[in-house]
Amino acid sequence: MKTEMARSRMERFSLAERVSHWLVAISFVYAGLSGTALWSKAMWWTAGVLGGGEMIRAWHPIAGVIFSLLLARLFWMWNRAMRLDAQDREWLKVGHKYAMHMEEGVPESGRFNAGQKSLFWLQSTSATLLFASGIVLWFPELMPRTLRLMAVLVHPIAALASLGGIIVHIYMSTLVVPGAFTAMTRGWVSPEWAKSHHPKWYRETSK
Amino acid sequence: MQTVAKLIDTTQCIGCKACEVACQEWNDQEFTLGTFNNSYQTMPDLAPNFWNLIKFNEAEQNGAQSWLMAKYQCMHCADAGCIKACPAPGAIIQRANGIVDFEHDACIGCGYCITGCPFDVPRLSSKTKKVYKCSLCSDRVAVGLEPACIKSCPTNCLSFGTRHDLKFLAEKRVSELKSDGFENAAIYDGPGVGGTNVLYVLKHGDKPEQYGLPKDPRIPWTVSLWKGPVKWLGNLVFFGGLFTALVHFLAIGPKEHKHED
Repeated sequence: MKTEMARSRMERFSLAERVSHWLVAISFVYAGLSGTALWSKAMWWTAGVLGGGEMIRAWHPIAGVIFSLLLARLFWMWNRAMRLDAQDREWLKVGHKYAMHMEEGVPESGRFNAGQKSLFWLQSTSATLLFASGIVLWFPELMPRTLRLMAVLVHPIAALASLGGIIVHIYMSTLVVPGAFTAMTRGWVSPEWAKSHHPKWYRETSK
Repeated sequence: MQTVAKLIDTTQCIGCKACEVACQEWNDQEFTLGTFNNSYQTMPDLAPNFWNLIKFNEAEQNGAQSWLMAKYQCMHCADAGCIKACPAPGAIIQRANGIVDFEHDACIGCGYCITGCPFDVPRLSSKTKKVYKCSLCSDRVAVGLEPACIKSCPTNCLSFGTRHDLKFLAEKRVSELKSDGFENAAIYDGPGVGGTNVLYVLKHGDKPEQYGLPKDPRIPWTVSLWKGPVKWLGNLVFFGGLFTALVHFLAIGPKEHKHED
Protein backbone atom coordinates (compact mmCIF):
# COMPACT_ATOMS: atom_id res chain seq x y z
CA MET A 1 0.00 0.00 0.00
CA LYS A 2 2.73 2.41 1.02
CA THR A 3 4.76 1.88 -2.13
CA GLU A 4 1.65 2.28 -4.21
CA MET A 5 1.07 5.64 -2.59
CA ALA A 6 4.64 6.68 -3.13
CA ARG A 7 4.34 5.92 -6.78
CA SER A 8 1.26 8.07 -7.10
CA ARG A 9 2.61 11.17 -5.40
CA MET A 10 1.68 14.40 -7.12
CA GLU A 11 4.05 17.35 -7.13
CA ARG A 12 2.34 20.26 -5.39
CA PHE A 13 5.21 22.74 -5.01
CA SER A 14 8.50 22.75 -6.90
CA LEU A 15 11.81 23.01 -5.07
CA ALA A 16 12.13 26.65 -6.19
CA GLU A 17 8.69 27.45 -4.79
CA ARG A 18 9.44 25.75 -1.50
CA VAL A 19 12.82 27.44 -1.05
CA SER A 20 11.29 30.83 -1.79
CA HIS A 21 8.36 30.19 0.54
CA TRP A 22 10.56 29.23 3.48
CA LEU A 23 13.01 32.07 2.98
CA VAL A 24 10.03 34.43 2.97
CA ALA A 25 8.82 32.75 6.15
CA ILE A 26 12.19 33.08 7.92
CA SER A 27 12.63 36.74 6.99
CA PHE A 28 9.00 37.35 8.01
CA VAL A 29 9.61 35.87 11.45
CA TYR A 30 12.75 37.98 11.97
CA ALA A 31 11.15 41.18 10.67
CA GLY A 32 8.02 40.40 12.66
CA LEU A 33 9.79 39.78 15.96
CA SER A 34 12.10 42.78 15.65
CA GLY A 35 9.13 44.81 14.42
CA THR A 36 7.06 44.06 17.50
CA ALA A 37 9.94 45.33 19.64
CA LEU A 38 9.91 48.62 17.72
CA TRP A 39 6.14 48.63 17.95
CA SER A 40 5.49 48.21 21.65
CA LYS A 41 7.52 48.55 24.84
CA ALA A 42 5.64 45.48 26.12
CA MET A 43 7.37 43.52 23.37
CA TRP A 44 10.82 45.07 23.88
CA TRP A 45 12.14 41.73 25.16
CA THR A 46 12.27 40.46 21.59
CA ALA A 47 14.96 43.10 20.96
CA GLY A 48 17.02 41.45 23.70
CA VAL A 49 16.55 38.02 22.14
CA LEU A 50 17.72 39.37 18.79
CA GLY A 51 20.86 41.11 20.04
CA GLY A 52 19.63 44.45 21.38
CA GLY A 53 17.95 47.63 20.22
CA GLU A 54 20.74 48.94 18.02
CA MET A 55 21.00 45.53 16.36
CA ILE A 56 17.33 45.37 15.41
CA ARG A 57 17.37 49.01 14.32
CA ALA A 58 20.11 48.09 11.86
CA TRP A 59 18.75 44.69 10.74
CA HIS A 60 14.97 45.07 10.76
CA PRO A 61 14.99 47.18 7.57
CA ILE A 62 17.49 44.88 5.87
CA ALA A 63 15.37 41.84 6.74
CA GLY A 64 12.41 43.79 5.37
CA VAL A 65 14.13 44.33 2.04
CA ILE A 66 15.13 40.65 1.84
CA PHE A 67 11.54 39.68 2.69
CA SER A 68 10.21 42.01 -0.02
CA LEU A 69 12.56 40.72 -2.69
CA LEU A 70 11.77 37.08 -1.90
CA LEU A 71 8.07 37.79 -1.82
CA ALA A 72 8.41 39.52 -5.19
CA ARG A 73 9.87 36.24 -6.46
CA LEU A 74 6.89 34.29 -5.12
CA PHE A 75 4.61 36.90 -6.67
CA TRP A 76 6.33 36.39 -10.00
CA MET A 77 5.81 32.63 -9.79
CA TRP A 78 2.23 32.62 -8.51
CA ASN A 79 0.34 35.73 -9.54
CA ARG A 80 -1.23 34.11 -12.62
CA ALA A 81 -2.47 31.11 -10.66
CA MET A 82 -3.75 33.42 -7.95
CA ARG A 83 -6.20 35.44 -10.01
CA LEU A 84 -9.73 35.15 -8.70
CA ASP A 85 -12.34 33.89 -11.16
CA ALA A 86 -16.14 33.84 -10.97
CA GLN A 87 -16.14 30.56 -9.08
CA ASP A 88 -13.70 31.94 -6.54
CA ARG A 89 -16.00 34.85 -5.88
CA GLU A 90 -18.81 32.35 -5.25
CA TRP A 91 -16.46 30.48 -2.91
CA LEU A 92 -15.76 33.63 -0.91
CA LYS A 93 -19.48 34.18 -0.39
CA VAL A 94 -19.78 30.77 1.27
CA GLY A 95 -16.40 30.91 3.00
CA HIS A 96 -18.03 30.17 6.35
CA LYS A 97 -19.21 26.81 4.96
CA TYR A 98 -15.62 26.01 4.01
CA ALA A 99 -14.50 26.92 7.53
CA MET A 100 -17.16 24.56 8.95
CA HIS A 101 -15.96 21.75 6.62
CA MET A 102 -19.27 21.65 4.77
CA GLU A 103 -18.84 20.65 1.18
CA GLU A 104 -22.26 21.26 -0.23
CA GLY A 105 -22.54 24.56 -2.06
CA VAL A 106 -18.79 25.27 -1.92
CA PRO A 107 -17.45 25.56 -5.48
CA GLU A 108 -14.56 23.27 -6.42
CA SER A 109 -11.10 24.80 -6.33
CA GLY A 110 -8.21 24.78 -8.77
CA ARG A 111 -4.56 24.73 -7.74
CA PHE A 112 -5.32 27.36 -5.08
CA ASN A 113 -8.66 27.96 -3.41
CA ALA A 114 -10.15 31.43 -3.04
CA GLY A 115 -8.96 31.65 0.57
CA GLN A 116 -5.36 31.01 -0.42
CA LYS A 117 -5.72 33.49 -3.25
CA SER A 118 -7.06 36.12 -0.88
CA LEU A 119 -4.13 35.54 1.42
CA PHE A 120 -1.76 35.94 -1.51
CA TRP A 121 -3.23 39.32 -2.47
CA LEU A 122 -3.41 40.43 1.14
CA GLN A 123 0.28 39.64 1.63
CA SER A 124 1.30 41.21 -1.68
CA THR A 125 -0.57 44.42 -0.89
CA SER A 126 0.63 44.69 2.69
CA ALA A 127 4.21 43.90 1.67
CA THR A 128 4.11 46.69 -0.91
CA LEU A 129 2.87 49.12 1.72
CA LEU A 130 5.41 47.86 4.25
CA PHE A 131 8.23 48.26 1.75
CA ALA A 132 7.26 51.79 0.71
CA SER A 133 6.66 53.05 4.27
CA GLY A 134 9.66 51.09 5.53
CA ILE A 135 12.05 52.92 3.22
CA VAL A 136 10.69 56.21 4.62
CA LEU A 137 11.19 55.06 8.23
CA TRP A 138 14.64 53.67 7.48
CA PHE A 139 16.13 57.07 6.64
CA PRO A 140 14.16 59.61 8.68
CA GLU A 141 16.83 62.30 8.24
CA LEU A 142 16.40 62.23 4.46
CA MET A 143 12.61 62.05 4.27
CA PRO A 144 10.09 64.91 4.24
CA ARG A 145 8.05 65.22 7.43
CA THR A 146 4.69 64.60 5.74
CA LEU A 147 5.89 61.26 4.38
CA ARG A 148 7.23 60.24 7.79
CA LEU A 149 3.95 61.17 9.46
CA MET A 150 2.11 58.92 7.01
CA ALA A 151 4.62 56.11 7.26
CA VAL A 152 4.35 55.73 11.05
CA LEU A 153 0.68 54.89 10.53
CA VAL A 154 0.84 52.90 7.28
CA HIS A 155 3.70 50.64 8.41
CA PRO A 156 2.07 49.17 11.54
CA ILE A 157 -1.39 48.89 9.97
CA ALA A 158 0.03 47.01 6.97
CA ALA A 159 2.05 44.84 9.35
CA LEU A 160 -1.10 44.01 11.33
CA ALA A 161 -3.00 43.09 8.18
CA SER A 162 -0.12 40.83 7.22
CA LEU A 163 0.08 39.31 10.71
CA GLY A 164 -3.66 38.63 10.79
CA GLY A 165 -3.42 36.78 7.48
CA ILE A 166 -0.39 34.82 8.63
CA ILE A 167 -2.05 33.65 11.85
CA VAL A 168 -4.86 32.15 9.76
CA HIS A 169 -2.34 30.79 7.24
CA ILE A 170 -0.17 29.02 9.82
CA TYR A 171 -3.18 27.65 11.69
CA MET A 172 -4.82 26.30 8.53
CA SER A 173 -1.69 24.75 7.10
CA THR A 174 -0.50 23.05 10.28
CA LEU A 175 -3.65 22.13 12.18
CA VAL A 176 -6.67 22.26 9.90
CA VAL A 177 -5.61 20.71 6.63
CA PRO A 178 -3.56 17.53 7.16
CA GLY A 179 -1.10 17.12 4.29
CA ALA A 180 -0.79 20.84 3.57
CA PHE A 181 2.39 21.22 5.62
CA THR A 182 4.10 18.27 3.90
CA ALA A 183 3.07 19.77 0.58
CA MET A 184 5.17 22.84 1.35
CA THR A 185 8.09 20.97 2.96
CA ARG A 186 8.49 17.84 0.81
CA GLY A 187 6.59 19.21 -2.17
CA TRP A 188 4.09 16.41 -2.83
CA VAL A 189 0.54 15.38 -1.99
CA SER A 190 -1.42 12.18 -2.48
CA PRO A 191 -3.95 11.97 -5.32
CA GLU A 192 -6.68 11.54 -2.71
CA TRP A 193 -5.65 14.76 -1.05
CA ALA A 194 -5.64 16.58 -4.37
CA LYS A 195 -9.05 15.17 -5.34
CA SER A 196 -10.50 16.20 -2.01
CA HIS A 197 -9.05 19.71 -1.62
CA HIS A 198 -8.32 20.87 -5.14
CA PRO A 199 -10.47 18.75 -7.52
CA LYS A 200 -10.12 21.06 -10.52
CA TRP A 201 -6.37 21.06 -10.16
CA TYR A 202 -6.42 17.25 -9.80
CA ARG A 203 -8.34 16.81 -13.02
CA GLU A 204 -6.14 19.26 -14.95
CA THR A 205 -2.86 17.69 -13.81
CA SER A 206 -3.90 14.06 -14.13
CA LYS A 207 -5.25 14.47 -17.67
CA MET B 1 10.09 69.22 42.86
CA GLN B 2 9.33 72.42 41.00
CA THR B 3 9.23 72.43 37.23
CA VAL B 4 12.10 74.45 35.80
CA ALA B 5 11.77 76.57 32.71
CA LYS B 6 13.50 78.95 30.38
CA LEU B 7 11.97 82.24 29.31
CA ILE B 8 12.91 83.76 25.97
CA ASP B 9 11.84 87.37 25.69
CA THR B 10 12.29 87.74 21.94
CA THR B 11 11.87 91.51 22.16
CA GLN B 12 15.21 91.76 23.92
CA CYS B 13 17.26 89.46 21.71
CA ILE B 14 20.00 91.33 19.86
CA GLY B 15 21.17 88.34 17.85
CA CYS B 16 24.65 88.26 19.42
CA LYS B 17 24.73 84.43 19.36
CA ALA B 18 26.53 84.25 22.68
CA CYS B 19 24.04 81.54 23.70
CA GLU B 20 24.97 79.51 20.62
CA VAL B 21 28.64 79.64 21.52
CA ALA B 22 27.98 78.87 25.18
CA CYS B 23 25.88 75.86 24.19
CA GLN B 24 28.60 74.56 21.87
CA GLU B 25 31.27 75.08 24.52
CA TRP B 26 29.47 73.56 27.48
CA ASN B 27 28.23 70.56 25.53
CA ASP B 28 31.65 70.13 23.93
CA GLN B 29 30.43 70.15 20.34
CA GLU B 30 32.74 70.32 17.41
CA PHE B 31 31.66 73.09 15.09
CA THR B 32 30.70 72.36 11.51
CA LEU B 33 31.62 74.97 8.95
CA GLY B 34 28.58 76.17 7.00
CA THR B 35 28.19 78.26 3.88
CA PHE B 36 26.96 81.81 3.61
CA ASN B 37 23.42 81.92 2.30
CA ASN B 38 22.33 85.54 2.53
CA SER B 39 21.52 85.41 6.21
CA TYR B 40 23.21 86.37 9.44
CA GLN B 41 21.95 83.11 10.87
CA THR B 42 24.80 80.83 11.98
CA MET B 43 23.38 77.64 10.53
CA PRO B 44 20.39 76.98 8.28
CA ASP B 45 18.95 74.56 10.82
CA LEU B 46 19.59 72.61 14.00
CA ALA B 47 22.07 69.74 13.71
CA PRO B 48 23.14 66.73 15.80
CA ASN B 49 26.03 68.86 17.07
CA PHE B 50 24.17 72.19 17.12
CA TRP B 51 21.28 72.33 19.58
CA ASN B 52 20.55 76.01 19.92
CA LEU B 53 20.01 78.30 16.96
CA ILE B 54 19.00 81.95 16.79
CA LYS B 55 16.69 82.19 13.82
CA PHE B 56 17.06 85.54 12.07
CA ASN B 57 13.49 85.63 10.80
CA GLU B 58 12.93 88.50 8.43
CA ALA B 59 9.61 90.32 8.46
CA GLU B 60 8.28 93.57 7.09
CA GLN B 61 6.79 96.08 9.47
CA ASN B 62 5.41 99.41 8.32
CA GLY B 63 7.31 99.08 5.07
CA ALA B 64 10.63 98.51 6.83
CA GLN B 65 12.61 95.31 7.09
CA SER B 66 12.92 93.93 10.58
CA TRP B 67 14.31 90.91 12.33
CA LEU B 68 12.13 88.74 14.51
CA MET B 69 14.89 86.86 16.23
CA ALA B 70 13.88 83.66 17.94
CA LYS B 71 15.99 81.21 19.85
CA TYR B 72 15.18 77.75 18.57
CA GLN B 73 15.81 74.59 20.61
CA CYS B 74 14.00 71.76 22.41
CA MET B 75 10.83 73.06 24.07
CA HIS B 76 10.76 70.46 26.87
CA CYS B 77 7.02 69.75 26.47
CA ALA B 78 4.98 68.40 29.38
CA ASP B 79 3.25 66.04 26.94
CA ALA B 80 6.30 65.23 24.84
CA GLY B 81 5.76 63.81 21.34
CA CYS B 82 9.30 62.38 21.28
CA ILE B 83 8.60 60.26 24.37
CA LYS B 84 5.32 59.08 22.92
CA ALA B 85 7.01 57.95 19.70
CA CYS B 86 10.17 56.42 21.22
CA PRO B 87 10.26 52.59 21.25
CA ALA B 88 13.43 52.13 23.34
CA PRO B 89 12.76 52.00 27.10
CA GLY B 90 14.75 54.65 28.94
CA ALA B 91 16.06 56.40 25.84
CA ILE B 92 14.02 59.54 26.47
CA ILE B 93 13.18 60.45 30.02
CA GLN B 94 11.22 63.24 31.59
CA ARG B 95 12.97 64.32 34.75
CA ALA B 96 11.08 65.34 37.89
CA ASN B 97 11.97 68.96 37.14
CA GLY B 98 10.30 68.71 33.72
CA ILE B 99 13.46 68.44 31.60
CA VAL B 100 13.08 66.06 28.66
CA ASP B 101 16.44 64.33 28.35
CA PHE B 102 17.93 61.88 25.84
CA GLU B 103 19.92 58.96 27.26
CA HIS B 104 22.23 58.07 24.44
CA ASP B 105 23.22 54.66 25.82
CA ALA B 106 19.62 53.50 25.39
CA CYS B 107 18.93 55.35 22.11
CA ILE B 108 18.76 53.03 19.09
CA GLY B 109 18.69 55.81 16.48
CA CYS B 110 15.34 54.92 14.89
CA GLY B 111 14.45 58.61 14.59
CA TYR B 112 10.79 58.15 15.61
CA CYS B 113 11.24 61.04 18.07
CA ILE B 114 11.95 63.38 15.14
CA THR B 115 8.57 62.49 13.68
CA GLY B 116 6.81 62.69 17.05
CA CYS B 117 8.19 66.16 17.86
CA PRO B 118 5.70 68.95 17.02
CA PHE B 119 8.61 71.42 16.84
CA ASP B 120 10.88 69.31 14.62
CA VAL B 121 13.83 69.54 16.99
CA PRO B 122 15.75 66.24 17.44
CA ARG B 123 18.49 65.49 14.90
CA LEU B 124 19.90 62.09 13.97
CA SER B 125 23.66 61.80 13.64
CA SER B 126 24.74 59.60 10.77
CA LYS B 127 28.10 59.20 12.52
CA THR B 128 26.96 57.88 15.91
CA LYS B 129 23.47 56.70 14.83
CA LYS B 130 21.96 58.45 17.84
CA VAL B 131 19.59 61.40 18.13
CA TYR B 132 20.57 64.67 19.80
CA LYS B 133 18.91 67.80 21.10
CA CYS B 134 19.08 70.43 23.85
CA SER B 135 19.13 68.91 27.35
CA LEU B 136 18.34 72.23 29.04
CA CYS B 137 21.81 71.60 30.47
CA SER B 138 20.32 69.00 32.83
CA ASP B 139 23.85 68.32 34.09
CA ARG B 140 24.23 71.97 35.16
CA VAL B 141 20.70 72.28 36.51
CA ALA B 142 21.23 69.14 38.63
CA VAL B 143 23.97 70.94 40.57
CA GLY B 144 22.11 74.22 40.89
CA LEU B 145 23.58 76.07 37.92
CA GLU B 146 21.58 77.74 35.19
CA PRO B 147 21.84 76.46 31.60
CA ALA B 148 24.84 77.68 29.59
CA CYS B 149 22.74 79.76 27.19
CA ILE B 150 21.13 81.65 30.07
CA LYS B 151 24.49 82.28 31.70
CA SER B 152 25.88 83.86 28.55
CA CYS B 153 22.99 86.14 27.61
CA PRO B 154 24.09 89.80 27.82
CA THR B 155 20.55 91.25 27.67
CA ASN B 156 17.52 90.27 29.71
CA CYS B 157 16.30 88.10 26.88
CA LEU B 158 16.92 84.78 28.63
CA SER B 159 15.87 83.89 32.15
CA PHE B 160 15.89 80.63 34.05
CA GLY B 161 13.82 79.63 37.06
CA THR B 162 10.72 77.76 38.07
CA ARG B 163 8.03 77.67 35.43
CA HIS B 164 5.64 79.34 37.86
CA ASP B 165 7.94 82.33 38.45
CA LEU B 166 8.82 82.72 34.79
CA LYS B 167 5.21 82.67 33.73
CA PHE B 168 4.62 85.55 36.13
CA LEU B 169 7.62 87.42 34.69
CA ALA B 170 6.39 86.77 31.15
CA GLU B 171 2.92 88.07 31.95
CA LYS B 172 4.43 91.24 33.34
CA ARG B 173 6.51 91.71 30.21
CA VAL B 174 3.49 91.10 27.96
CA SER B 175 1.47 93.77 29.75
CA GLU B 176 4.42 96.18 29.36
CA LEU B 177 4.50 95.49 25.64
CA LYS B 178 0.75 95.96 25.40
CA SER B 179 0.98 99.34 27.06
CA ASP B 180 3.76 100.18 24.59
CA GLY B 181 1.28 99.63 21.77
CA PHE B 182 1.94 96.01 20.85
CA GLU B 183 -1.62 94.87 21.28
CA ASN B 184 -0.99 91.33 20.10
CA ALA B 185 1.91 90.69 22.45
CA ALA B 186 1.50 87.27 24.05
CA ILE B 187 3.13 84.38 25.84
CA TYR B 188 3.85 81.34 23.67
CA ASP B 189 4.00 78.17 25.75
CA GLY B 190 2.26 75.42 23.78
CA PRO B 191 -0.95 74.57 25.66
CA GLY B 192 -1.64 71.90 23.02
CA VAL B 193 1.29 69.84 24.34
CA GLY B 194 0.39 70.33 27.99
CA GLY B 195 2.60 73.43 28.20
CA THR B 196 6.24 73.78 27.20
CA ASN B 197 9.01 74.44 29.69
CA VAL B 198 10.49 76.93 27.25
CA LEU B 199 8.33 80.06 27.27
CA TYR B 200 8.44 82.85 24.72
CA VAL B 201 7.32 86.44 24.91
CA LEU B 202 6.35 87.46 21.38
CA LYS B 203 5.63 91.01 20.24
CA HIS B 204 3.39 89.55 17.53
CA GLY B 205 1.84 86.79 19.59
CA ASP B 206 -0.96 86.35 17.06
CA LYS B 207 1.53 85.27 14.40
CA PRO B 208 4.04 82.84 15.94
CA GLU B 209 4.72 81.48 12.42
CA GLN B 210 6.64 84.69 11.74
CA TYR B 211 9.08 83.54 14.40
CA GLY B 212 9.33 80.07 12.90
CA LEU B 213 7.13 78.63 15.64
CA PRO B 214 4.11 76.42 14.87
CA LYS B 215 0.77 78.18 15.42
CA ASP B 216 -0.82 75.47 17.54
CA PRO B 217 1.78 72.83 18.40
CA ARG B 218 0.30 69.41 19.09
CA ILE B 219 1.55 65.84 18.91
CA PRO B 220 0.84 64.92 15.26
CA TRP B 221 -2.46 63.03 14.98
CA THR B 222 -0.90 60.16 13.04
CA VAL B 223 1.53 59.63 15.93
CA SER B 224 -1.30 59.70 18.48
CA LEU B 225 -3.29 57.23 16.40
CA TRP B 226 -0.25 54.99 15.97
CA LYS B 227 0.48 54.91 19.69
CA GLY B 228 -3.19 54.73 20.76
CA PRO B 229 -6.01 53.07 18.83
CA VAL B 230 -3.70 51.24 16.40
CA LYS B 231 -2.08 49.51 19.37
CA TRP B 232 -5.47 48.20 20.43
CA LEU B 233 -6.13 47.13 16.88
CA GLY B 234 -2.87 45.19 17.14
CA ASN B 235 -3.96 43.45 20.33
CA LEU B 236 -7.26 42.62 18.69
CA VAL B 237 -5.59 41.14 15.59
CA PHE B 238 -3.05 39.11 17.56
CA PHE B 239 -5.08 37.83 20.48
CA GLY B 240 -8.32 37.78 18.49
CA GLY B 241 -6.60 35.71 15.80
CA LEU B 242 -5.17 33.22 18.30
CA PHE B 243 -8.45 32.98 20.17
CA THR B 244 -10.46 32.38 17.00
CA ALA B 245 -8.02 29.69 15.89
CA LEU B 246 -8.23 28.00 19.28
CA VAL B 247 -12.03 28.00 19.33
CA HIS B 248 -12.17 26.80 15.73
CA PHE B 249 -9.79 23.96 16.52
CA LEU B 250 -11.71 22.87 19.58
CA ALA B 251 -15.16 23.23 18.01
CA ILE B 252 -14.55 22.12 14.45
CA GLY B 253 -11.06 20.72 14.26
CA PRO B 254 -9.11 19.44 11.28
CA LYS B 255 -10.52 18.79 7.87
CA GLU B 256 -10.44 15.18 6.77
CA HIS B 257 -10.30 14.40 3.12
CA LYS B 258 -12.69 11.89 1.60
CA HIS B 259 -11.53 8.30 1.26
CA GLU B 260 -12.86 6.58 -1.76
CA ASP B 261 -13.39 3.04 -0.72
